[in-house]
Amino acid sequence: MFFLSYALAELRRRRGRTILTALGLAIGVGLVVTVNALSTGLDHAQQKVLAPLTGVGTDMSVTRPIRVTNNGSGAFGGLSQSQRNRLRGQLGPGPAVNFRNLKPGQKFDTDSFRATSQLSFPASEVKRIEGFAGVTAAAGSLTLTDTHVYGKAPKVRLQFGNPGSFGGSGGQNGQGGARFQGFGGKGIHFQSRTVTGIDQSRPDLAAVTPGQITKGRYFTSSSAYQAILSSSYASTNKLSVGSSVSFGGHAFRVVGIASSPLGGTPSDAYVKLAVLQRLAKYRGQITTVQVRAASTGAVGRVAREIKTGFSASQVTTAQDLANRVGGSLSDARNLSSKLGTALEIVGLAAAVLIACLLTLASVAKRVREIGTLKAVGWSQWQVVRQISGESLLQGLLGGVIGAAIGIAGAAAVNAVGWTLKATVPGSAAPARGPFGGGPFGFGQAAQVTSGSTLVKITTSTDLRLILAAVGLAVLGGLVAGAVGGSRAARLRPAAALRTVE
Amino acid sequence: MHTEERLAQTPATDAVPVYELAGVGRAYGGGNGGVTALADVDLVIRPGEFVAVAGASGSGKTTLLQLLGALDRPTSGTIHCLGRDISRMGPGELSRLRRETIGFIFQQFNLIPTLTAIQNVEAAIATRRSGERHRRAHDLLAMVGLSHRVDHLPSRMSGGEQQRVAIARALANDPGALLADEPTGNLDSQTGQEILALLRGLSTEHGQTVVLVTHDTHVAETAPRTVRLSDGRVVSDTANAAAISDPA
Repeated sequence: MFFLSYALAELRRRRGRTILTALGLAIGVGLVVTVNALSTGLDHAQQKVLAPLTGVGTDMSVTRPIRVTNNGSGAFGGLSQSQRNRLRGQLGPGPAVNFRNLKPGQKFDTDSFRATSQLSFPASEVKRIEGFAGVTAAAGSLTLTDTHVYGKAPKVRLQFGNPGSFGGSGGQNGQGGARFQGFGGKGIHFQSRTVTGIDQSRPDLAAVTPGQITKGRYFTSSSAYQAILSSSYASTNKLSVGSSVSFGGHAFRVVGIASSPLGGTPSDAYVKLAVLQRLAKYRGQITTVQVRAASTGAVGRVAREIKTGFSASQVTTAQDLANRVGGSLSDARNLSSKLGTALEIVGLAAAVLIACLLTLASVAKRVREIGTLKAVGWSQWQVVRQISGESLLQGLLGGVIGAAIGIAGAAAVNAVGWTLKATVPGSAAPARGPFGGGPFGFGQAAQVTSGSTLVKITTSTDLRLILAAVGLAVLGGLVAGAVGGSRAARLRPAAALRTVE
Repeated sequence: MHTEERLAQTPATDAVPVYELAGVGRAYGGGNGGVTALADVDLVIRPGEFVAVAGASGSGKTTLLQLLGALDRPTSGTIHCLGRDISRMGPGELSRLRRETIGFIFQQFNLIPTLTAIQNVEAAIATRRSGERHRRAHDLLAMVGLSHRVDHLPSRMSGGEQQRVAIARALANDPGALLADEPTGNLDSQTGQEILALLRGLSTEHGQTVVLVTHDTHVAETAPRTVRLSDGRVVSDTANAAAISDPA
């Protein structure tokens, strides 16, 4: 304990130098804590934006997009024969209303479901993908474009190339479709909407998760005909929880409203997978497999394996989704990860350098004292231990002050209420279909929800970060002590005693 | 040299000498610019002796004291301390020798200003266990008459008291030799006399070997034996009959 008493007494005597050294280290440590807390806050903000995109536990989505090459000719250019056959089967003749069978003024309501941007594939692929190394869970979903035509038969008999029928294609997602008026003033309504059938037994891997429900509830096992609507679709069509919405001639009860995540590819409606497969006549077919990897580090490898093992597939990872998010949030995070790390290194290096120089200066001022200690029999090791011990205590003090500075800095960021903008440009997702842009949505691309959202940055400091920061300061103190101690140990006692102070 | 007088003062001529110097020299620097601080010094100091090393400034007395104190090594000759050749010892062995065998007293006291009187004494025996260290330091401070000042910082003590603390510190490791470099140089006359009396008492009452360096002839005369240096050489080694007959 003598050494500790001596060290504490010395630090008290050289209070100014002690505070200066500790403050130097504290600023370095405070910088590390603040930058790390800020970086964590930016990560959390980005995760907050991405959470609805990635789902609770989905690491990647597997689809089989229809690929069109630049040198292809026509809508089917670049497709293999089997892909063309599948596509023809999926597209079919389009929705049709045979007015010959309707009396003028008679109501009609028909749906036509098509997988437009992606080829459907057997649901058995879910099991196969689940068997890949590094995959812990997988669930399938089916996303279709539903062309909904309803209204009353016109009083004027129509003549078309395909006698007695009326067809169309394309439309804007979720915008309520085109309204066909004329023919005696009775409207015929066309509505294009996307519907996704999800495996409700795996809500954490589903295209819509319980966390996205803003009103109402998630699916239950009580009824087959339950629907969850996107908030934008519900708003446009003035639907709410408890309303009824028709799909394939069946009335579905709206049980919940889900938020449309920024940057996501939301559907207008979500129903149970088996129900949609039956109504749309896509039995045993799906268009997407949501996959969870064993670890974040395994995502890249698993994605490559799936691409190799599942021909013509496209794997979209959470990182791909993250890359869609831009704006000041993204800029700040990039800045934090690059400049922040450099700032931490430079700050700490400067702090340790200052501590070393001040310790050396302190040793220079204590030459005769060190000579006296050597004269009374102190070994070099004892001298080094004493100087290092004092420096370590300074480091500890600097670490504690630095942690306080860091926590205060992080709290200041929170108090300022810094908000950053996360932006997703209004472009289609990579899986663009060959027929995008048609009036009724046939071949409609998977549209991402574009726009901006403000995210408040909330920094957080945890105990591990603080302990690590204090540890860094102590380490810095030890380095300074080792430098100063070795200088003191090299002093020749006879020369040291001759020094005039 | 009054050999018969020195022998009378020497308690045990057949005992191993505390110091035995043969042809010791110390030169600083090399070539034409070099300085010879000590040259060809032969000296024997026996246990219990009180020896004053006297000489003018620059005569080499402090250099001699540093060699005796194992703070420096000679450039020629040999120095044996209690039978061990310290001229060939490494830094670690020299540290151990200083810790176990030698006690230093400095002209400017050289107390650690941040430590109390008792902590300054403990500094010399810092590797000992806490209780033993504390008791030893306390006893020594009592012996030099500073029981009431144990927790005082040097800055709160007079020069005489500080030198007493330094003496207690020098005695902490029960040294074979007590080396004092101008111990009264920074003290007033009366306090200087008290310190000299204390050192003499240690020699006469406790058989402590004391080597005292001084430029003051009056101080040197208080020692039973005086070795005079001039230009780094021993010019006389005499016994002081008055000091022998009146040790106090």
